[in-house]
Amino acid sequence: MVELKNVSVTYESTGVEALSDISLKVDDGEFAFVIGRSGAGKSTLIKLLLKEIDANSGEVLVNGYNLTKLKKRKVPEFRRTIGVVFQDYRLIDTMTVYENIAFVLRVIDAPMKLIRKRVPYVISLVGLQDKADSYPSELSGGEQQRCALARALVNDPALLIADEPTGNVDPELAYELVELLKGINECGTTILMVTHAHEMVRHFGGRIINISQGEVVFDEVIGGAEIEAE
Amino acid sequence: MKLSSFRYLVGQGFDNVWKNRVMAFASFCVLLVSLLLVGISVLFYINIDSIIGGIEDKNEVVVYLLEDTTDAQIEEIGQTLSGMPNVRAVTLYTREEAFEDLKASMSDYSEVFESLGDDNPLLDAYRIRVSDISQMQQTVQAVQKMDGIEHVSSPDSFVELLTETRHVVAIVAIAIIAALLIVSMVIISNTTRASVFARRREISIMQSVGATKAFIRFPFFVEGMINGFMAGVFATLLTWFSYDSVVDLIANFDILQTIGMGSIIPYDAITIPVTLAYVVVGSLIGALGSVWSTRKHLKYRAANM
Repeated sequence: MVELKNVSVTYESTGVEALSDISLKVDDGEFAFVIGRSGAGKSTLIKLLLKEIDANSGEVLVNGYNLTKLKKRKVPEFRRTIGVVFQDYRLIDTMTVYENIAFVLRVIDAPMKLIRKRVPYVISLVGLQDKADSYPSELSGGEQQRCALARALVNDPALLIADEPTGNVDPELAYELVELLKGINECGTTILMVTHAHEMVRHFGGRIINISQGEVVFDEVIGGAEIEAE
Repeated sequence: MKLSSFRYLVGQGFDNVWKNRVMAFASFCVLLVSLLLVGISVLFYINIDSIIGGIEDKNEVVVYLLEDTTDAQIEEIGQTLSGMPNVRAVTLYTREEAFEDLKASMSDYSEVFESLGDDNPLLDAYRIRVSDISQMQQTVQAVQKMDGIEHVSSPDSFVELLTETRHVVAIVAIAIIAALLIVSMVIISNTTRASVFARRREISIMQSVGATKAFIRFPFFVEGMINGFMAGVFATLLTWFSYDSVVDLIANFDILQTIGMGSIIPYDAITIPVTLAYVVVGSLIGALGSVWSTRKHLKYRAANM
């Protein structure tokens, strides 16, 4: 599902090597936490997986697409196979909750019948039934986060990438969100969750990928108590 | 693309005009002013051209025939003149008509004419109007070579002045219109770019969920076309009212009529081309300007920043 082979990324403008000879593999149906300090390379990893940037060397394979060789015109098609929850939500301000979520289905030319059925379903899944006609500016941080999650799920993606999905919500809601992601994962969706919340990672356990100074320094499936807080 | 998607994207274009109404209004105003500047300049030029044309029409070449020319010869000369290139109209002006006109215009000297009795000192003549006034001299030279011609009278210096004026007006008008077009394009381009720049985040989000360039551009295209269309309609209305006011003003001044301002083209005669030009050009500039401005933000940014 996701495979990085000896991948390095250096930002030309600053000369900083954000990822250094990284290799990792996340199989279908897995749930993995990606942890690390600020500037460790987590955001670069996400950009790489979304084909927002290219690797300077190595090979990136996601959902059967070789991103190293992917042509520009195929990028939209590739991105439709992934659901992403961005740290800053990235909701379109001029669209309501319903329209933001439906937009993903409009992009793939989905039939109206499917849109009318699928969008209310994911809205109810994240508990935003009463906010369907609200604009992002009328929502709290947590509600915007859930809206972003619903948008990531509406297309039933094989891979869901969540960048700090619990970063702007209270601890109780954060646990609820991860429970929700776990439930989605049990239905077969591969989930890669980037987070700073080590307490929460300790609580849920599972596969932990720790990135430090652009390198994978820890990658194991373990129980919650074994993880040392950084 | 499915019909439902097409309808959705067109609807998005209409929605965006309202949702981004401040920038939409700015684009509308810039388009309106640009259309008016160029449109009024073009109308000004074609009217100046028409006025000069009207003055030209009032000028004619008079061909005086030899005194003893028979009716058959007069007829033959008339046919030859009519068949000449650059000759638009030929009218016979008999010596009797000329004498009567002279007497009428100089009624204070009636005793002089009475003393002449039936002795008419004037000559038969043909009045010629030419198609192209700038070619008048060549036509006059050709007529002078014909048999039976006493002499030819033509307003050479006035024709030269008119031809030169028309030439200068054309050059100045083209230069002004070209300058206005360039200035308008720069202003329109900057305004639409500012409008699209304000929505670059929206474009980036659309890209991140897998929207194609065409899918993102289409609502911008519709939005720009609506702005341009509205600017075209308003430009038509404003031109119509101001043009009619100017025509009415000129109609009230006899002196302006006398010097040829009466040759101003009535708005009724140009309603359709002016409306079409404003609306079509406005819509096209609006739509293409919008789409062009999205280019930069739609560029695939795989190069590491």
